Amino acid sequence: MKEAVRIQQQDFSQDEEVAALRAGSKRMGGIATFTGCARDFSEGREVTKISFDAYESMAVKEMNKLREEAIARFELLDARIVHRIGLVGAGEQIVFVAAGAEHRAPALQACQWLIDELKQRVPIWKKEITPQGDAWVTAHP
Amino acid sequence: MIKVLFFGPVAERAGAGEVETEFNAGMRLQDLRTKLQAEFPAAFEIVCFAAVNGVHALDMSLPLTDHSEVVFMSKFSGG
Repeated sequence: MKEAVRIQQQDFSQDEEVAALRAGSKRMGGIATFTGCARDFSEGREVTKISFDAYESMAVKEMNKLREEAIARFELLDARIVHRIGLVGAGEQIVFVAAGAEHRAPALQACQWLIDELKQRVPIWKKEITPQGDAWVTAHP
Repeated sequence: MIKVLFFGPVAERAGAGEVETEFNAGMRLQDLRTKLQAEFPAAFEIVCFAAVNGVHALDMSLPLTDHSEVVFMSKFSGG
């Protein structure tokens, strides 16, 4: 089975990630997921691709810490985080977060907390590639 | 030696992803920042965070050891 926390160039399957999450416990009554995708338009410009750079060893460590913190903080049964790096085409998947708990409320809260914290704490940077040129993105809320 | 890494927009402004700099006894994180800021002023205009050996370093008075890996980073934009 694939690791619960990963950084990878290739695309991922949401179905496989959710199946892996569910395989851990039959007590899981609620699963919340978030999928971040590459928009084809940003700040008035067409975006054809997004290029991601990461301090990979630290990013994986931070993502593992986030997962462990979320499991403890929201009493999750399990959680998974996958983030792509390299070139991602417009419309493609970038990031996936899944949180599984006995009930829906902690699963939903954990999912939002995980993606918000990931944006703040994980050393990954994105550059939008547009017909007008490339531009590094400053943090979005 | 200290290995310094740059990523994303900082690397682009520095024109390098990795530089090595000599370690001096008693060297602190701020000393390294001051030295590199003079060499790469455009890159350090956007530096917000530092990490030492893969861990966020909030205290710029942190003493460095020889062979440390130090990263100066801009705001993250993953996700």
